[in-house]
Amino acid sequence: MRFHLPSALRKWAGNNEVLEMSLPLDLRMTIAEAVIMLGRDYPGIRQRVLDDQGNIRHHVNVFVDGENVRFAQGALTQVTHASEVRIYPAMSGG
Amino acid sequence: MERIEPITPQSGNLLLMVGTVKGAFIFHSDGNRRAFHIAGPYFKGQEVFSAAYLPDKKAPRMLMGVKSQHWGSTVCWSDDFGANWHEPAEGNVRYPVSSGLSLNAIWALEPAPLVGPNVVFAGADPAALYRSDDRGETFQPNDALLNHPERPFWMPGFGGLCLHTVMPDPRDPSRIIIGISAAGIYRSDDSGKSWTRRNSGIRMDDAGPPNAPHFRPQCAHKMRYAAKNPRRIYLQNHPGIYRSDDGGDSWVDIAKGLPSVFGFPLVAHPRCADTAYVIPLTADNFRVPIEGAAKVWRTRDAGESWAPLGSGLPQQDAYFSVLRDAFIADSLDPAGLYFGTRNGQLFASSDEGESWRTIADWLPAVLCVKAQLVA
Repeated sequence: MRFHLPSALRKWAGNNEVLEMSLPLDLRMTIAEAVIMLGRDYPGIRQRVLDDQGNIRHHVNVFVDGENVRFAQGALTQVTHASEVRIYPAMSGG
Repeated sequence: MERIEPITPQSGNLLLMVGTVKGAFIFHSDGNRRAFHIAGPYFKGQEVFSAAYLPDKKAPRMLMGVKSQHWGSTVCWSDDFGANWHEPAEGNVRYPVSSGLSLNAIWALEPAPLVGPNVVFAGADPAALYRSDDRGETFQPNDALLNHPERPFWMPGFGGLCLHTVMPDPRDPSRIIIGISAAGIYRSDDSGKSWTRRNSGIRMDDAGPPNAPHFRPQCAHKMRYAAKNPRRIYLQNHPGIYRSDDGGDSWVDIAKGLPSVFGFPLVAHPRCADTAYVIPLTADNFRVPIEGAAKVWRTRDAGESWAPLGSGLPQQDAYFSVLRDAFIADSLDPAGLYFGTRNGQLFASSDEGESWRTIADWLPAVLCVKAQLVA
């Protein structure tokens, strides 16, 4: 599984744009569980993508294999060892 | 205004920590307060709801409660007057999963040196109190308040369900008073092990929520201890202005003589227990100075009478509001007063409010102002 990070989050990932996480071929989990797993090595990423209840923050967009999870099953969207996860800050503000 | 960075203040200098909706600024001056210099913005694009200063002479520390609209809220700190800020990777104000709550914003940061030399309290939205024992680096929630039996009856206001005011008693380390909108004033006399509502005498016309019609949710906007007398507290309530002379056990209406009972901030004089200041706004549904004339009102007799102070403030077509934490006094003599507006002005008085001047314009909307004399 690969996580593609926006520039604002890279300082919490050793300045890497892409983080790779090895998973068993048959493992399935939710995107929230995957972010929590990634947070073992990169706690700053978990903190900024998920809120205190493990939900994806309101102004963060997470795409799994090209689909915005907001329009799928949200934090419960399933991922596999081969998923490409892209994280974007929402276009927001004023 | 001259820009000076990094800040290297000397003993006796004055610092103003100003939080806005798009970052923080630090204004600094020598003790005569004639000229202020600006530094910042820090936390560009983020909201800075709260600020505090730990005045340890050898290791002073600035704290700010910072909210990114994208990435959440954190207490950040600087040990070099803003040159470098520390942001913990894992955050430091977190709700337990069992609470079902998630942090929205950190509304209050309050050092409590009598409780412990490294103790800082934080007030959060949704309403919760946190305590740090390491100068603001990590925080633990107050379970008694988090699980308070009246919590189901609390109702968020326009700004959220915010615990915006934390007042550790300056003489009794076991007593803390807090303000929550919209729930009211609560006090603990046992170091936070239990909390009791202290709203006796405060008017509330509306009925409580359907699940508790007997419960009158109060919206305390700002409370301040009177100087040298922690039994006396001044309160700007959502509707009304009150004084307590018994530590919050009872409140008396002191709004007579004011042109409006609505406003957000309230400041107590740093030395005179009978002197306090408010900034009345037109009404709940029109939160601007009355008839467009900006005035600070002062009492010098504990609320028996009030008088306006407007010299130097805009007296026509002024349509701004001042939020609850955006008005503060310094500790100098004569007292300096400072307030920031949602339109981005920062006004200052160096003569106890008799005259005012604009020390910054065109800032983002101001959320909080803290004044600190450097030891």
